[in-house]
Amino acid sequence: MSEDINITETTNKHETFTQEEYMVMKSDLLRPIEKIGKAGKIWIAFLITVFLAGVFAYYVQETRGKYTTISLRDYTMWGIYISNFLFMVAIGLVGVLMSAILKLTHFEWYRPLSRIAEVIAIGAILFAGISIVVAMGRPDRLFNLILYGRIQSPIIWDVIGISTDLVASLILLFIPLIPSLITCRNNLKNLPKWQLKMYNFLSFGWQGTPEQWKILKKTMRILTILLIPLGILICTITAWLFATTLRPEWDSTNFGAYFVSNGFLLSAAVMILATFIFRKAYNLEKYLTEMHFDKLGQALVLMALIHGYFNINEYLIPAYKMSSLHENHLLSLFIGKDALFYWSVVIFGIIVPFLLPLFPKMRKPIPLTIISVIVLIAGWFRLYLIVIPGLLQPYLPIQDVPESWKHYFPSLVEITIVTATFAGLLLIVTVFSRLFPIISVWEVAEGELEGKEEITNYK
Amino acid sequence: MILLSITTSLAQDKEAKITLTFDKADSLYVCKALVTSEGIPVSEVPVNLSVKRLFGNLPIGEAIATDSTGVAAFEVPLDIPSKNGKLTIIATIVDDENYINTETSGIVNWGMVIVSDNSNVEDRSISAARDKAPIYFITVSLLIIGLIWGTLIYAVLQVFKIKRLGRVDKIEEFKITN
Repeated sequence: MSEDINITETTNKHETFTQEEYMVMKSDLLRPIEKIGKAGKIWIAFLITVFLAGVFAYYVQETRGKYTTISLRDYTMWGIYISNFLFMVAIGLVGVLMSAILKLTHFEWYRPLSRIAEVIAIGAILFAGISIVVAMGRPDRLFNLILYGRIQSPIIWDVIGISTDLVASLILLFIPLIPSLITCRNNLKNLPKWQLKMYNFLSFGWQGTPEQWKILKKTMRILTILLIPLGILICTITAWLFATTLRPEWDSTNFGAYFVSNGFLLSAAVMILATFIFRKAYNLEKYLTEMHFDKLGQALVLMALIHGYFNINEYLIPAYKMSSLHENHLLSLFIGKDALFYWSVVIFGIIVPFLLPLFPKMRKPIPLTIISVIVLIAGWFRLYLIVIPGLLQPYLPIQDVPESWKHYFPSLVEITIVTATFAGLLLIVTVFSRLFPIISVWEVAEGELEGKEEITNYK
Repeated sequence: MILLSITTSLAQDKEAKITLTFDKADSLYVCKALVTSEGIPVSEVPVNLSVKRLFGNLPIGEAIATDSTGVAAFEVPLDIPSKNGKLTIIATIVDDENYINTETSGIVNWGMVIVSDNSNVEDRSISAARDKAPIYFITVSLLIIGLIWGTLIYAVLQVFKIKRLGRVDKIEEFKITN
């Protein structure tokens, strides 16, 4: 008898997705746009303040001259601006991982995550480009890159790649947004007029006809397929900025894979952090469920393993050979002045995300978020360890220079500007989530309607 | 003890003068340095010879001590790159116990004239200028960029197609035909 009841329960549970459930979902997901509480306003004000502090710091840097305000010198001509750029490009892979790869491999739990991932990716790529411009000695010569750039230069490849990735991510964010915009316009009548007008304009005459759905789905599919090689290509090109040099630390064939695997690791971590924040801030526990954290934790273990593999390839084999070219740099990383730094990064950046989320208890929202924050911080410092010690060990040894040129520590102006790029990224994500639904309503509804096995049978 | 140090310090104050002469002796450049002190040639004084380069001096051989006539003879190699066909030879006495440090230099028409081989300036190569990139490189790059941007432009055009299909008359047309 009880078996009969169980059978009917499981077959009926997601066969129909009632209109009521849909209305509840819509109101849940549209609520952040309608209402903004005090905490939300304070958060946005805080982010704007930090961002403006960075703008002011940039003004100081440009007007007072770079020699006095920042610590970049002849040898360390790239400082934390460039390691921040690398971090942002690595995070920019979150769109590839969460939105594209999961979608195409039919992991249905991507559905609530894809728009969050796309927005973070766009913000990250944007601030990656801004980090570069901030680091330029003569930003007024920015257009010379386009006017006089050589196609044989890795820097030009990077410029082309970053701008292409930005445009592609914007289009891939925008196209699935079109049906959601009509939902917003129809359901949120109390918003300011400019906002409703914006929804109308951006929705491009969407009526929800079968023809339009067909075109939308086809275009989304093509772009999703394009985004995977494009994102990986962008991260690899960024790695080639370093690997095409002869410096001991950067003269490695492994760099492309190392950076891409680092990007995937940091993407998984940033996705966990963003999911937790949106879950708590907008009360979206029903959509960003514990299942998502479980799966994201498993993804984190996988990415940590892959990155650990490339890390071993990057460091163990040159250490085995210990050629005189690499000797100084490797020894300083393993047992010298950067040793504490390096080993902390390895432990907290690779071993912690590999070991801890293996336990189911660690894949609960709060522990997993703490682990992902640790991974992100270690990841930022991992990229610092690639850039700065590499610059301090050039191909021709440093000789006959002032002592201050042999060390680097970021100045206050640099730290302010880098913090401002983080604030800008968070600002873009926050403002987007206040204007547009951060979870794609129609994609989640589609998932519910089709009653995917893995979501219904999750233990 | 005090007497000895006074003698030493007095001895260090002697000035020495070096005179350079240049000669070519059967396929060798020979430079002779005559060291005199107060007009008298002095012997057993080590002289260093070097050639002036862009950022410093290139030492030629070891320090040679002057013989009984006060002359130190150096052999200068034939294949030192010269500047406009001339070399600046510098002779020095450094850290000698009897004489203070002196230096003399002279310019001589020795050395190899370096002719740069610029035959491959106009070639296409990966290290060349913007307009001389290798053809395969240009084609492959433009192909990849074109494919990717072409797809993106196609996606944007599809959005406009959505807009066109959303016009009411199109929907009516769809309803009539189906």
